[in-house]
Amino acid sequence: MLSRAAERVYWAGRYLERAENMARIVQQYSQLLLDLPEETGVDWPDLVAIFGARQAFAASGAERSEAAILDFLLADANSGSSLAYSIRMARDNIRNSRDLLPQESWENVNELYQYSRSALANAAATENRFEILADCIGRCQQINGILVGTMSHNAPYFFLSLGENIERADMTSRIIDVAAAYLQENERLVLRYGSTLWTNVLKSVSGFQMYRQYCQPEVIGLAVVDFLLHDRAFPRAVRACVEEAKRMAAALPRGEHLTHALDRVGFALPGPLADEFDGAEASALMDTLQRRLGDAHAAVVETWFLPEGDA
Amino acid sequence: MQFGHTRYSADDFYDELIDKNGEPRRHARELVEYFSAMESGELIERQRAVDSTIVDMGISFTIYSEGDNIDRAWPLDVIPRAMPGSEWDTVERGLIQRVTALNHFIDDLYNDRRILNDGIVPAEIIDSSKNYLEPCRGAKPKHGVWAHICGSDLVRDADGTIYVLEDNLRVPSGVSYMLENRNVIKRVFPSIFRNHRVRPVSEYPSALNAMLRSIAPDDIEGRPEIVVLTPGIFNSAYFEHSYLARTMGIELVEGADLLVDDDDCVYMRTIEGLTRVDTIYRRIDDTFLDPEAFRPDSMLGVPGLMRAWRAGNVALANAPGSGVADDKVVYSYVPDIIRYYLDEDAIIPNVPTWRCSDPVQLDHVLTNLADLVVKPANESGGYGMLVGPHASQAEHETFRERLKADPRNYIAQPTLSLSTAPTLCGEALEPRHLDLRPFILQGSSVYVTAGGLTRVALRKGSLVVNSSQGGGSKDTWIVEDDG
Repeated sequence: MLSRAAERVYWAGRYLERAENMARIVQQYSQLLLDLPEETGVDWPDLVAIFGARQAFAASGAERSEAAILDFLLADANSGSSLAYSIRMARDNIRNSRDLLPQESWENVNELYQYSRSALANAAATENRFEILADCIGRCQQINGILVGTMSHNAPYFFLSLGENIERADMTSRIIDVAAAYLQENERLVLRYGSTLWTNVLKSVSGFQMYRQYCQPEVIGLAVVDFLLHDRAFPRAVRACVEEAKRMAAALPRGEHLTHALDRVGFALPGPLADEFDGAEASALMDTLQRRLGDAHAAVVETWFLPEGDA
Repeated sequence: MQFGHTRYSADDFYDELIDKNGEPRRHARELVEYFSAMESGELIERQRAVDSTIVDMGISFTIYSEGDNIDRAWPLDVIPRAMPGSEWDTVERGLIQRVTALNHFIDDLYNDRRILNDGIVPAEIIDSSKNYLEPCRGAKPKHGVWAHICGSDLVRDADGTIYVLEDNLRVPSGVSYMLENRNVIKRVFPSIFRNHRVRPVSEYPSALNAMLRSIAPDDIEGRPEIVVLTPGIFNSAYFEHSYLARTMGIELVEGADLLVDDDDCVYMRTIEGLTRVDTIYRRIDDTFLDPEAFRPDSMLGVPGLMRAWRAGNVALANAPGSGVADDKVVYSYVPDIIRYYLDEDAIIPNVPTWRCSDPVQLDHVLTNLADLVVKPANESGGYGMLVGPHASQAEHETFRERLKADPRNYIAQPTLSLSTAPTLCGEALEPRHLDLRPFILQGSSVYVTAGGLTRVALRKGSLVVNSSQGGGSKDTWIVEDDG
């Protein structure tokens, strides 16, 4: 497989995963705000933080209103942090990998792109936001289903899956990061609305049902964080993503460097959380996780994408 | 002839589906009945279905406009163009004959030059051609074949005669649209194919793959590694490059993915390291192929590629230098070339052509400029042409000067009345002019597509069929008619 082709498929995986996660997070966040009174201080700007877009948003000069923030995060085609951008990049990378990916995946991502171009502009303002985002999520899942169900499990699939799992682990860590900040900052919020908040966190990664099956008791912060970090069975938990990425690394030629980098992500996972685990500790941990995921990404780039053997 | 509520008449032109009495031609009878039974509303509905299928399937071409690349949906008319199988069989034989002779010719030019020494084609025509590449001198591609993929443009005149208008031997494009046109029409009219015996076109990628394999160097072990070399995603034909790589199941590479090592072999950069490449289906023009041999500023090619090719370590399709035979002055000699190498008369005639390099013929051209089409020898895409009957007095004068100044670089032909076919224009079917580009593959054997890409000029009276200039296309049916 060509290095350049591997790079495109990897990014197709990352952007497709990012698009699905963004749509779900915004959708669930919109639901959450309906449940939380204003004095809890949970508000739209936190959403900008989840996507790591604080600086870009500030630079855009947009006001901090619901409409402006959602427009920035969903529809702004010029912003690298928007859902529209992720969909376009997923589409461009799949389009330029058409020789490797199933035809239906291209047709579907192209339909998603055409749909998003008209629909997302309305998603910030209208009552249809939930449905539009549900459509985007559904279409992303459909594309993923096509890819998983019809691609041979060889090199192109391994790169796609690497992109998805590294992106997914990164996204899960971001969600935990922001939610954990509430643990620290607002005791009253935690007492009264903790369950609502953590339920929302789980739904943001489609993890509510699986959490219930994993851990019967009520939804409390520590148990949720533990589940999202350590579970080996739930495919959006950081540990599960890392393990899956390691399987891909083992299947690829010259994967040792990446395996090593992924091990270091795994070593950063703290193990069973003590009751004293608080927002500050969580925040430091997520920084470490995100940095090491960044190292894993760099290992992918260095091992497989950079040109070699220049004549 | 009635289509829905409207009357259809092709006037004095030869119509591919309707004869001059207004009746459907025999091979097109069921096709015409099928469509004429439709209300015009339904026809428009089907055209919309065609258009949206094309958007959904992502069938596009890229045009350059104001420094931007714009992806346009590929234009496909809802009504297929049909030809009888018996007629096509003759055309197919003619195309095989033509390509076979042209390959003998190219091989001869770069090696023994017998045809020049025997005075059939003047040597100065070849030596002054900018498509004649000196670095190719003495090369011996496998099977003696240089132009492995040829797209010859066919047109039909008012009396029904089919002519070869030109041969494209460099990097002819359009075959992916031929394949996709059929796929779209099948999706939108699934039932129509059951009542017709239409020759399939879908085996083209397999035939192309087999041809590319057949030209790989002999000494390799195992399966040859074949790649498609594209200038990149900004090229107007990138859709096709990607399409062909995908349908052949081979890698689509750019120049930067390849390198020529000290052993004069070509390698590609893969996730496993460097992998040897045996055959390159290159979609890059000759002079951009190798900055060492041609344009040093080319960023698209691969340094040392010509070295590797001349050493026989890699096959290039088409071989560099093949374009010498699609010079329009050379075109005028093709009937002689066929006779010289094959001792046969040309099965498909050339359009009568005057060479301005010959003083007597130049005189004729200058006198009759207003009735002729004048073409430069080495341009493609319809650039630099004079269409006498449509041009102004001033344009005639400009060309008169150009012809006198550089006669070698021009030929002239009579203005043909291109055939027409019913085409949906707005809400009604109207006759529109069209041509046909079949694709011919030659490696260890020769393959011709069943039909080819029909391009149609969408503006009334226009003869310009290029998609970049507002042309459309039609699915092309070769219909069995042997009873």
